[in-house]
Amino acid sequence: MTLVALFAAACGGVRAAESTVVATYGAQTLRFTHVESSPGGLAIGVSDPAFADLLRATGAVMTWKPGERYVLITTAVPVVVSFAVGDRRYDVGPVALQASFAPYQSGSDVYLPFDEVLRSLNLALRRDATGTVLQPQLASIDVQTFGDRVALVAHAGAPLRPRVLTDTPVAITYEFDGVGTTLVGTRPINGGGVRNIQITQSGTARDPKTLVTVSLLPGAQHDAPRSNDDRDVVLGFSGSGAPPGPVAVATPVPAMQATYIPPDPNAPPGQQPAAAAPSGPALVTGVMAQPSQTGTSVTIAVTGNATYTWHRLRDPDNRFWVDIAGAQLSGPPIDQTQPDPLISIRVRQVDPNTVRVAISLAGQKQLDVSPSATGLSIDVGRDEVADALREGSGSIGSTVSANDNAAPVTPAPLGGDQTGDSTWKFGPSGSGSTYVPRNPRLIVIDPGHGGSDVGAARAGLTEAGLTLDMSKRLRDILIARGWQVRMTRDTDVDVYQPNDTAHEELQARDDIANNAGARLLISIHVNSFINSGPYGTTTYIAKPGDVALAKVLRQHLSSDLGTKDDGIIKSHLYVVLHALMPAALIETAFLSNPSDLSMLESSAWRQKVAQAIADGIDDYTREYPAATQGGQ
Amino acid sequence: MRTSRLVVLILLLAVVAAGTWFFLSRRGGGDTGNLTVYYTKIDGTTLGTLSVSLRPPEAGESAAEHQHNVALYAAVEAVAGPPSDVQAIRFPSGTRVGNVTVSGSTVTVDLAGNVAAQPGGSFGENGEFKGLVYTLTGLPGIDAVAITIGGKTVPSLPGGHLELDEPLKRTDW
Repeated sequence: MTLVALFAAACGGVRAAESTVVATYGAQTLRFTHVESSPGGLAIGVSDPAFADLLRATGAVMTWKPGERYVLITTAVPVVVSFAVGDRRYDVGPVALQASFAPYQSGSDVYLPFDEVLRSLNLALRRDATGTVLQPQLASIDVQTFGDRVALVAHAGAPLRPRVLTDTPVAITYEFDGVGTTLVGTRPINGGGVRNIQITQSGTARDPKTLVTVSLLPGAQHDAPRSNDDRDVVLGFSGSGAPPGPVAVATPVPAMQATYIPPDPNAPPGQQPAAAAPSGPALVTGVMAQPSQTGTSVTIAVTGNATYTWHRLRDPDNRFWVDIAGAQLSGPPIDQTQPDPLISIRVRQVDPNTVRVAISLAGQKQLDVSPSATGLSIDVGRDEVADALREGSGSIGSTVSANDNAAPVTPAPLGGDQTGDSTWKFGPSGSGSTYVPRNPRLIVIDPGHGGSDVGAARAGLTEAGLTLDMSKRLRDILIARGWQVRMTRDTDVDVYQPNDTAHEELQARDDIANNAGARLLISIHVNSFINSGPYGTTTYIAKPGDVALAKVLRQHLSSDLGTKDDGIIKSHLYVVLHALMPAALIETAFLSNPSDLSMLESSAWRQKVAQAIADGIDDYTREYPAATQGGQ
Repeated sequence: MRTSRLVVLILLLAVVAAGTWFFLSRRGGGDTGNLTVYYTKIDGTTLGTLSVSLRPPEAGESAAEHQHNVALYAAVEAVAGPPSDVQAIRFPSGTRVGNVTVSGSTVTVDLAGNVAAQPGGSFGENGEFKGLVYTLTGLPGIDAVAITIGGKTVPSLPGGHLELDEPLKRTDW
């Protein structure tokens, strides 16, 4: 009996009868009917209709199906809150917490600890004489220190609209209407002009107010409150008072991953002389990545004598690898993701005598390889370089030497797998690199979208209209230069048929180019995003044979248009992937960015786009004659 | 005879005690590792990461169930993306993970909700799916991600650019 009770407690505790909770949330009255009392508090059934209403009202999304153990709630922040049946642990993004009781199964429903669910939504149940209220909470204030500046970032479960209640040289008080808090108290800061912050709550359960009083050091200054989104507010301060001292009032902000690969503690880089190395093959004992002033420094610890060769590929495939010959890896293979300017590091024993360290770079980064008696140091800068060295070699150990070659000798991996960690995808229509056009004088121009699909739209402009305009201008230039041109559309129509599927529409465009045996396919588009931040011109490719074309086009676009050069991006774009011939999709500018929009509105600028693409086509076809086009 | 019964009883009790200890110790938590969630930065191409911890397999949870649960978690995290104060390319607000299935080395992610409410342009789509694919192919034994929308295979999103009717791999980027 005792054992049964123990198991019952471990599996979620003893439950009482169901009850109903009626609570108001803003103007809504929510009647929660799947509520049970547990020893640890109230439990809410995930199938409760009012619970679904609450999630919807807060902008949260739940992922759960009957029979599944996990209940995942994505909040509006967004952060994923993960509950598991039978486990008191729940995760709020990267933070693992303990709930007052474990979620449990009851019939086909899963019951969650209600308080913890509400807390993750930055809400709390509050009662007053008139009933129960779901009160938005000022859930946290993060203190972020930047030199002599401090930012207090307040997060809440409702839009925050602070107002300055009092403002004196020694203190400033902000009032947050409509939110309560459990953060009441005083926290020392002593930095960025801020002595401390005091948090108090007033008002009622239905009309709460949270007051944040910031005590200032002499000479402190403060900015007007600003918001990244409606649910947080940044209060900025600066001053020359006491030394900054960050104090975390709450901890919900997930940190960026700061991973590193620890070296073998028995052989720290730089501390074990080569003379102490054992005879026989050298050992690669550790690989460590650390932030440096200029970017990231990767240290490869090697004991013993070895030679190395390194290579890097050409942009946009920014992979680097170094092979250490006559060496063995002393530990297991390593796979690590890394922050900018790296993407990842992989370490492998690629053959019995060679250890390979492969680094994916976040761009064509400055990179220096330096051998020493105890290994290799690879300094990766944050800056991009135009003409990076492509290969080098040298020796490590008792004889240290380096020979880096300036000549770009390493070709882009057209279908090859030179680092052993990935290959280019060849689309079902072929690579484009061995394509022989039936009509080498024919260029197919594809104005993106059209007809029932306007594409992006902003300020009275549509992507379909803009791409058609630029395509016609390009057509006219190319024809004047002696090219044959076919447009996938030359009016505002669907290429396949109105309201067709994306597949039919995109394949129809490829069919025109493929069936005609065209030399090139150029698809012209206009980019867009949900905010005005991104801007610039991007050339998208999908297969190896597109690379050379894209590089030449990019060269002209970046120098002629006056937009930001967003480079070449390889992606899985249908229209490029299924073109038999070298193809590129050019996102000329962002309709969603005011600066780019003003250019798109200019017919002179659209003419420049056409001119730049035409010049690129001419250069490419001169450099890569039809018989060998697609080469590097 | 009586002694042998006692020995059997002690052995049985020992087995029960060991089983109970094993069961309860596995319930207690402790990480089996971290899940790396990738997102595409606002430059449209480079990846950022955030790390969330993974639960250990629960008692009675088979390896296949655990793999499915981890894949589901990974997909939901990837679709959610980083907190809003991190500049990132995100799936449209209201995009949901309807279901996840694992078959061999391929995860099929069924997306629902507002996933089709794309802003237009290749920028968003490219970044959204790149982060999702990198996240899921970071799981042990997974090298491809098939996408369905509302339970159906689609060649691409309406008015979209990316081909979605065959599994996506890291090498597609």
